[in-house]
Amino acid sequence: MKNILLLEDLPEIRAWLRKLVLQVFPDAQISESARVHDAVSLVQAVKFDLALIDLGLPDGSGVDVVTKLRDIQPEAQSVVVTIHDDDEHLFPALQAGAFGYILKEQPRELITEQLQRISQGEPPLSPSIARRVMAYFSAKAKPQASSLPHVSLTDRESEVLLRVAKGYTLPEIGVQLGLSRHTIADYVKQIYRKLNVSSRAEAALEAQRLGLFR
Amino acid sequence: MSRATLFSLHLRRVLFALLLGTALPALAQVLRIDSALSATGDGDAFPLNATTQRVALPDGWTASRPGESGPVWYRVTFQAPPSRTGSELDALYVEQVCSNLQVYLNGQLVHSGGRMDAPLTNNCSHPQLVALPTALLARGLNTIDIKVSGHRLAEVGSRARSGALSLLRIGPESALAGRYSRQTTLNIALPQAVGATLLLMGSFMFVLGFINRRESHLAYFGALSVGWALTDARLWFHTLPVSNAVVEFLLCSMLAFITLASVQFLLRYARWRHALIDRCLPLQCALMPLTLVLAGPGRLHAVASVWHVVFAAEVVAAASFYLRTQWRARSRNFWLMSSMLSAVALAALVEFIAERSGERPLVAHLAQLVTPVMFVVVGLRLVQQHGRALQDAELGKAHLEQRVRDATAEIERNFRQLADLRVEQVTERERKRIAADLHDDLGAKLLTIVHTSESERISTLAREALEEMRLSVRGLTGKPVKLADALGDWRAEVVSRLAQAGINADWLAPEDLPQTLSARAYVQSTRILREATSNIIKHSGASNCSVTCRVDEGDFQLIVQDNGEGISLEVDGRLDRGHGMASMKHRAKQLQGQCLVESGPGYGTVIRLTIPLDRAIEAQA
Repeated sequence: MKNILLLEDLPEIRAWLRKLVLQVFPDAQISESARVHDAVSLVQAVKFDLALIDLGLPDGSGVDVVTKLRDIQPEAQSVVVTIHDDDEHLFPALQAGAFGYILKEQPRELITEQLQRISQGEPPLSPSIARRVMAYFSAKAKPQASSLPHVSLTDRESEVLLRVAKGYTLPEIGVQLGLSRHTIADYVKQIYRKLNVSSRAEAALEAQRLGLFR
Repeated sequence: MSRATLFSLHLRRVLFALLLGTALPALAQVLRIDSALSATGDGDAFPLNATTQRVALPDGWTASRPGESGPVWYRVTFQAPPSRTGSELDALYVEQVCSNLQVYLNGQLVHSGGRMDAPLTNNCSHPQLVALPTALLARGLNTIDIKVSGHRLAEVGSRARSGALSLLRIGPESALAGRYSRQTTLNIALPQAVGATLLLMGSFMFVLGFINRRESHLAYFGALSVGWALTDARLWFHTLPVSNAVVEFLLCSMLAFITLASVQFLLRYARWRHALIDRCLPLQCALMPLTLVLAGPGRLHAVASVWHVVFAAEVVAAASFYLRTQWRARSRNFWLMSSMLSAVALAALVEFIAERSGERPLVAHLAQLVTPVMFVVVGLRLVQQHGRALQDAELGKAHLEQRVRDATAEIERNFRQLADLRVEQVTERERKRIAADLHDDLGAKLLTIVHTSESERISTLAREALEEMRLSVRGLTGKPVKLADALGDWRAEVVSRLAQAGINADWLAPEDLPQTLSARAYVQSTRILREATSNIIKHSGASNCSVTCRVDEGDFQLIVQDNGEGISLEVDGRLDRGHGMASMKHRAKQLQGQCLVESGPGYGTVIRLTIPLDRAIEAQA
């Protein structure tokens, strides 16, 4: 049995998502919320396995809930469910610790498949996000990152990212590199994790610079 | 006659000979008279009953009769040469007489230099050439009586202005005329010319310095030049309507002003000034005339001499100070000014010695000219410096103006760039706001329709509308997209969609394309490709699809080919109505490109999309 958080402000979409989640995880315990504030209270009270989080909410951004969840329930998987498909919106959520994203307008079958994949540890990664991640890490390879904890991509991870950026699908990359589909998925998961760790370290460093912490 | 005088006489002769080679033969006929019988008397004839004494000529009253103020008579006798009774006129030449004379030949008055009683005509600088009328010349012995009026030394400021009579020369007028005119030139014409130049230049510089207060040394130099020229102004007037005492008083007082001007000039030229000096020098100018008045005309020479020493000391001190500062500053002025000052000092020394000795050799006359000439030279140098400084200032000003203009242009340019940037930022922000609004509002509603509609057809339409909206938003916020990135996005979408539909996909595209697509071209191409993919999945029944990308002479080409059933004419019409084959073509046309569809039943479908890259770049601008 899974404990699932569902954060979505539109009631119809929330109901639809709930139906969908119950299809994939029939015995799930679903906590629904329409506000960031309520979701944060829930996160502090209940232990979740999975959280489906919308980004644009009336009282704030879902990214805050992702951050909170990452802080107090690191083993919970945050998945961004959004209408925004551009990396401008998605990247901050991924940096905050989201483990993949689902675009809401996709057909039901596709979403259920993606949910299943995510729950099995196989998060989606689009070419534009891959390019953004590559740019982030190559910028970090510059001097100011020398004081950060050693977080950088391995050659294999970079190789996978590069191929994703060129438009190859994960199964294709698996074939090209002679690796199993699961291994490629592990690389992607690792990339997400490093993005989060590095972003957090950077944020801490920035806070220190601004004198928020001693 | 002392040896020194003899030497100077010889020197003078040689110099004259060099100056005028022709004068030498005439000298032989000229009678040189270097002694005379003299007596004091104020009558119309030589006072025969008074005590007479024989004096050597030149005769300075200071030496021969100190304290006496004349008039003094001189008598000389000479033998008229027999050969010279013919056509030629004889003449008496008096090189110097101070202050004035009357000449009697054999008792007859033949020449008067001007007024013989106060105020006396001053002829101290004017040589006298007296024609001796042939009618009055006796055969054999002739007598010439000369009555000289003058002043005692005590009443004049300078020895050169006390009573005196020089050597006399008697000879043919033609032989003496050259000597006379030379002496006139040297004593009168040249000093007058130099004095006039000095006066003009001095006034000019005074005005220049007065206007330009930072160059006050120019004003003082001008005052110095004008003062010097004024002391020489006497040469222009033989007879002044005021007494000798007044003239001497004014001349001596003028020296105080000249000293003030020269000391201040030297100090200011060295860029130094002191309040004490600024106050003391004018005080001195007032004090000196006061002492002269108090002492009275009888003691003028004594008092003036003391003051002369004081003035000389002041000027020497100022000059040394000036030269020292210039030496320390390693200024180029040092050499010029030190040679000028040395020349002036040397000239002053020569004049002083000449005055003391009572002799006035040529060198003394030349020395008299040195000082004003030096003033003219220094004046020209100062004007040159001033002009150069002015020029430099002009250049500096022009340079500064240029820099100001450059800086202004730079600021304007920066301001324009900033304004452009600001407009861009505002536009960008506005675009983002509109995009966010569309997403949050329209997007959410369309999404609700997608997922809640009972009708599959309405769901699909709403989904398509949502996709359209997102692409439009991307076009709104869009920066140019790298072609390589666009191909990555398209590949990921097309290949995974075809794979999900169970259609095998071949994607052929060159690597590392440096070109970019405008946001508009990217969005439109994405729609066309998405439409094509949808058509293949929904209608073609194909098992295989290949997508080929090419960049060819500025054209970007995308070829989508499937091995499906193809589009029959009948179906073609339906497709066009329902599934946007026409809109694909229309979109391509908007980008100045084209979209060709080749199809036939059983042959599959080929869609060729061509977009001119350069125009795509233009569209982004």
